[in-house]
Amino acid sequence: MGIKRLKMPEYSFGDKVKWHAAAVGTAFKEAFFPHTVTVHYPKERRKFPDNFRGYILFDIEKCINCWQCAFVCPANAIRMKEAPNKKYYPTIDYAKCIFCHFCVDSCVGGALRTTKIHDVAYADVNEMLAETEQLMEPPEIVREDRRYVEYVIEEDDVRLRRVKGQDYLLVEPPPRKEYSMVCVCDDPESCTGCGTCADVCEHYAISISIEGEYKVIRIDTARCTGCGLCVKECPLRVLRLVRREGEQ
Amino acid sequence: MAAVSEWRVKLVGRPKDVSCPSVVKTQVIDTGLCCRCMACMAACPAAVRTGVGFDFEERKHVCVDCEICVRVCPRLDYKPLSGIGSYIKAVAGRSKRFKGQDGAMVTEILMSAMEMGIIDRCIFVGRDEDWRTEILHVRDVEQLEVPTLTGTKYTFAAAVPALREAVLNTKVGVGFVGTPCMVSGVRRLQKELAVFRRKVKLVIGLFCTENFYWDELTEFLKERGVDIKKLVKTDITKGKFIATMTDDVVEFPVKELSAIMPSGCRVCTDFSAVESDVSVGSVGSKPGFSTVLVREENAKEVLDFIREHGYADFDEVSLEFVERLCNLKKKREANIK
Repeated sequence: MGIKRLKMPEYSFGDKVKWHAAAVGTAFKEAFFPHTVTVHYPKERRKFPDNFRGYILFDIEKCINCWQCAFVCPANAIRMKEAPNKKYYPTIDYAKCIFCHFCVDSCVGGALRTTKIHDVAYADVNEMLAETEQLMEPPEIVREDRRYVEYVIEEDDVRLRRVKGQDYLLVEPPPRKEYSMVCVCDDPESCTGCGTCADVCEHYAISISIEGEYKVIRIDTARCTGCGLCVKECPLRVLRLVRREGEQ
Repeated sequence: MAAVSEWRVKLVGRPKDVSCPSVVKTQVIDTGLCCRCMACMAACPAAVRTGVGFDFEERKHVCVDCEICVRVCPRLDYKPLSGIGSYIKAVAGRSKRFKGQDGAMVTEILMSAMEMGIIDRCIFVGRDEDWRTEILHVRDVEQLEVPTLTGTKYTFAAAVPALREAVLNTKVGVGFVGTPCMVSGVRRLQKELAVFRRKVKLVIGLFCTENFYWDELTEFLKERGVDIKKLVKTDITKGKFIATMTDDVVEFPVKELSAIMPSGCRVCTDFSAVESDVSVGSVGSKPGFSTVLVREENAKEVLDFIREHGYADFDEVSLEFVERLCNLKKKREANIK
């Protein structure tokens, strides 16, 4: 097998002149209207999308003390701290935080929310531990930006669009859709009839009665609030939460 | 599976004033029939929630009266199984990949089943340096690098309670290996509870003459001059118990061990694990080989897979020895009152 040699295509004189002229034209265009994708921070600031993972804000009113954020944090950056009212609220160590925002996603009550702030400066590492009070207010940052930059993607090229005015960095979280759940038995043949579910149910929604040769277990769907306590406690995991019928 | 909000569980039909732990206690444990398969532990909801062990006196206080222990006990309403049972084919095998007691065919079958994707985890019985049994959930071949995992321990292990954990966490299926009584226990669990029926995909039975309690066996071996810390391997071959240590070998006739034989083994007549999918043991094949009795289609597929990939050497097997031991164990029927 030999090496295949490529031949230089033959260009006509007219083609060469045309392309040289195009190259000179591009050089002039770039000299006066430079085609750059660099953002001149801090004079201008990039406009980030609303779901940008930046500094995390905390709303104490919505927190239900479930510790989910601290459990889920892969970097162990979240510590729960006891408040004077004997409840525990999160503190975030930004020296450890990897900005994955699992805490925001896992927050049941929607107490944690994201912002577009990404440029907070600290004097030393100890300062990076944000206490609960600090998390409730957006951090103080120096803003020198007079305009913001949007990235416009056109077919296979990226262009910048500069707009005068400051971008608003706090994002309003979208309204949460809540579903009503109800407990059902997935696998009646694996049920031992132990009655653990009926014991733990705080709304007396599960009842067990003996009818002849059988033990009958009933879930009163009207009473069930979908708290999931029975699902958690069932020794053989035969129960499951499903969306209530008629809801989308 | 249909999701329902009203369902029924069949009751066993026992006298109202007797709690279910006392049914098991009076009819199984006090009569000496209990084989310590611990199927009752695997299913008991009270044991799961309170952490009460295999102690029926204590369990009476936490019992929630669900009757599952009565339903799953293989020795309640005991019908002794015996003989060699039905099988599709019998071969002797020696694994090329693993090292075990004889031919390491149990490890080979489980790992091949895992490779085939029938199961995603299996339960092995390991041991600590004092030869106490430990349960290990094996989910990867690399975990088998622990040298104490394979080989016979001749000691009771709580493998069936561990099966519950495995069954609830598996996504595909679980492989199980145990003595004939454990296999019977698992079959009863499968009969009563659908989740075990669905998830326990492969049950390997071991040839078993008897098993011992850890404290009694170690005490007995100590009297014979065996240093448990140095013990490497235990084996029963040709009527002799052979304890191999790092620097010494102690041998004595197996008959001497009958003094410490548990009462549950005195009434057991099942040598070849009749109810299993595949039975494995050393009896009936040359040294270094394991006898494999394939009983069910799923085990046959695994054996075909091993043969196809050349993971093991195969050899002829002489079933006379197996039958002889089956008949020997069948004589224990006389002990059942």
